[in-house]
Amino acid sequence: MKRYAIGLAALLLACTAGAASAQTMSYAQAGALIAKSCGPSIDKFCSKFNLGSGQIQQCLSQHQDQVPAQCFTDYSAVVASISKRVAAQEGAFKVCGNNVRQFCTGVQPGDGNILNCLLESSKVVSGSCKQVLLDAGWQ
Amino acid sequence: MTRYLSLAARLAGGVALAAVLAGPLTTAASAQTNLSNAQILQGLTATTNDEPTVTAKLLRQMVEAAVAQNQPLDLNRSAIAAQLYKLAQITVQIQFALDSAIIRPESYETIGSIADALHHPILWNYHFLIVGNTDATGTRAHNLQLSQDRADAVMQALVTLYRVSPARLEAVGLGQEALQTPATPKDPINRRVQFFNIGLE
Repeated sequence: MKRYAIGLAALLLACTAGAASAQTMSYAQAGALIAKSCGPSIDKFCSKFNLGSGQIQQCLSQHQDQVPAQCFTDYSAVVASISKRVAAQEGAFKVCGNNVRQFCTGVQPGDGNILNCLLESSKVVSGSCKQVLLDAGWQ
Repeated sequence: MTRYLSLAARLAGGVALAAVLAGPLTTAASAQTNLSNAQILQGLTATTNDEPTVTAKLLRQMVEAAVAQNQPLDLNRSAIAAQLYKLAQITVQIQFALDSAIIRPESYETIGSIADALHHPILWNYHFLIVGNTDATGTRAHNLQLSQDRADAVMQALVTLYRVSPARLEAVGLGQEALQTPATPKDPINRRVQFFNIGLE
């Protein structure tokens, strides 16, 4: 019960800190943004290309005069956000390495255990570690 | 189990989670279309250390043999079904263009939410099976190919746009052979994509 209470406190802390400087969208939000800004254009001009074929952006560019500018802006923003989030996720435990060694010795890696430990230690975890966890979407 | 619940509860902000969707392939329960991130994560979290031996290759061999011999795929009574039933899993509705493997833009978000779960430390060591299904409209052979193409398309979106490692994913189509509602085989609810957690390697 105490463990859960600490977890909840960490979540509240993350919420207040996170709301001000959330920097990468979730992958779901990324997909939703492409659909919202580019969906009608994709349906009209690029309906034979699939998500993940790597060809939708190019197809949209070929219809530049008919596709809203917002679509291009948002698609680029999505690609950048995904890259940033992936980089944060891949680098997070290195960035948080000192904190892991300090607060999470003896925690069995795997199944999110170390992340759990870091989140529960959020009052003492360093700023750069907090930031990378935020960018990774794990706060 | 407590550990998963506390982390998942954290993701949900402490709100009670809906029931996990684990169940047999032909359950009568309706497939949810709007799973929250926490539900997806919890649904896919492995709850056992047993190493499952289900692979896409095995499933594909079974289903291709059944269709080629014009036999029903008796998945319910097979050992494979028993294993699949035990795996952590979720079912999602993904919209494709008619008779095509082109994913409709309104489903980009759903695939993204799967990526969010697969990129989470709780799941990032695990491998997943992506299973495509159709309803019974059209021929068995055609539906088999269509569902494989669709499972492949979902996998490609996850790998190329959302940067999930392809080594963690396998895609297989079961056509109309594992209907969720066998009593109403043309019900569109059968046109679903399932994700199974098949373990650490």
